[in-house]
Amino acid sequence: HIPPRTERMAVDQDWSSVYPTAATFKPGSVPLPVRMGYPVKRGVPPAKEGNLELMKIPNFLHLTPPAIKKHCAALKDFCTEWPSALDSDEKCEQHFPIEIETIDYISSGTSIRNPKARVVTLRVKLSNLNLDDHAKKKLIKLVGERYCKDTDMLTITTDRCPLRRQNYDYGIHLLTVLYHESWKTETWESEKAEEDMEEYIWENSRSQKNALDTLIRIKASENVSNVTKEELLASEVVKDYRNSVVALKNEGETENNMSRYKESVKKLLNIQ
Amino acid sequence: LEHGFALHAAAKDCFSSLASQDAQTLPEKPRAVFYTSESDPAKHTGHHEGRHYSIPLEELKVVFPQGLPPRFQQQIKTFNEAFVMVRKPALELFTYLKSSNFAHPAVRYVIYGEKGTGKTMTLCHVVHFCARQGWLVLHVPDAHLWVKNCKELLQSSYNKDRLDQPLEASSWLKNFKTSNERFLKEIKTQKKYVWGKQESTEEGRPLGEVVEQGLTRVKNASDAVGVVLRELKQQSQLGSFRLLVAVDGVNALWGRTTLKKEDKSPVSPEELTLVYNLRKMMRNDWNGGAIVTTLSQTGSLFKPSSAYLPQELLGKEGFDALDPFVPIPVPNYSPREFESCYSYYLDRKWLQHEKAHTEDGKEELRVPGG
Repeated sequence: HIPPRTERMAVDQDWSSVYPTAATFKPGSVPLPVRMGYPVKRGVPPAKEGNLELMKIPNFLHLTPPAIKKHCAALKDFCTEWPSALDSDEKCEQHFPIEIETIDYISSGTSIRNPKARVVTLRVKLSNLNLDDHAKKKLIKLVGERYCKDTDMLTITTDRCPLRRQNYDYGIHLLTVLYHESWKTETWESEKAEEDMEEYIWENSRSQKNALDTLIRIKASENVSNVTKEELLASEVVKDYRNSVVALKNEGETENNMSRYKESVKKLLNIQ
Repeated sequence: LEHGFALHAAAKDCFSSLASQDAQTLPEKPRAVFYTSESDPAKHTGHHEGRHYSIPLEELKVVFPQGLPPRFQQQIKTFNEAFVMVRKPALELFTYLKSSNFAHPAVRYVIYGEKGTGKTMTLCHVVHFCARQGWLVLHVPDAHLWVKNCKELLQSSYNKDRLDQPLEASSWLKNFKTSNERFLKEIKTQKKYVWGKQESTEEGRPLGEVVEQGLTRVKNASDAVGVVLRELKQQSQLGSFRLLVAVDGVNALWGRTTLKKEDKSPVSPEELTLVYNLRKMMRNDWNGGAIVTTLSQTGSLFKPSSAYLPQELLGKEGFDALDPFVPIPVPNYSPREFESCYSYYLDRKWLQHEKAHTEDGKEELRVPGG
């Protein structure tokens, strides 16, 4: 019987001619002693000859680095030069803060159209937009899920129009409307309650009330009256207490936060 | 495998920081390592840290008719004596209590920590200290018992929106009476309380009468508890006695209940008379005492088992109500405390496994599963 092709392959052969396109795994063409599968009865994984597991899975033998280099060389004729002034990511972001992402699809078939090609994704960092505190909070509330807090990135994906150009225009329109609406303040926004707040604000909170009440009672027991709220709020112990409560509520509870809170309460209530 | 299992069973007892043993076995090691004869908690200092002290059984019946952890009670029955380990969180609380200014509003202390680290035992140590010092101790052993598994719910006669719990209230009154007999004779009511058409307690009668009323007429028990709490709060400011409010599982007061009204709608905690009155005690608008509480996840309702930090267990409402409080963390046994507990169990012949004496056995006990 004829020996498989692997035994006649040179070590420095051109691999992209063995696997020029995506193809199934052919054990006789791949000169690697690959094993795959479950080792039955304390045995070893089965060899590559007639191995259905290796044939089922998708393989990337057609996309080795030299093959990719050849693809790039072929595509280079269709490309233009990257502008030399934009040599770092920061410069790109500074000059072009909005990133548009579109995908083109090619397939071998009767038609070149693909309905998935009309999807347009707009990405922009909120730090590049001119927003003040209220506008930023309102924008984040308006967009909801589309904002990522860790990367400060707003992502708008549009596909409601049939053409890519229309979707792109709609995306830009959405961004403009969001920006302008977040700068406006409606009358009903004054009804914002404590539950709607994004972060904990100590001023006018229950914690401030409790602390001031306690301090006033302590002072009353020592026969010191006429201490105004402003004086108490400006004192060091109250400021320290305020910072520790804000840290506790905003950052969650950690060992550090709890011990800071403990120290500040001890100072506030004058416990040794 | 077998060795591991037996040692683990003993390790579980050891590690749940129930450091109580009995003292009747042959002293194999110098007992000073784990035992101190100082039985007055007021005299416990850092010097005694890690050592066990004993509470006489008669005192136990008076001071703790309720409130000791069930495992500990089993241990007391087995060893026939109660030994408690002196640990740093309790000593810290003693310094605060000893140096606190009773003219200032009552300070709230919240003992928190992971499961099984000794929060309830620390609270019991503090209760014993205050009882020895002559304070009036208002001990609620487990606030969770008041918000779940209640067999009878009556509509309160005092306030139609609230619900009474006669069984829980009367059992608490009974235990309260046992631990504070002498105070109940001395403290007098400050106003007249009308219980029904013909029953009333006049002004100036001893508080014991209110308690009796609650015990005999179980229907009024919850209101009797409310009256007792109110009187104590008002009178502790006069300075004739010190009041310690000790509540275990205080996070039950601001959580949810599993109780349902007759129309199957859920009951929220403030609709229960007992919880409502206890919440009023938790406020710091009175002076002349202290409030020491623990957070407890075991027995809590609708809280994940990994929750142990104050904000997680108390929720926003509870935290705002108790703020500003002094948090007291209780960690697991330190190596020295572990040594002490280990030698104590050996001394009591509780660790029966033959390998328990060896170094390997000790390591296995110290690190469960290790």
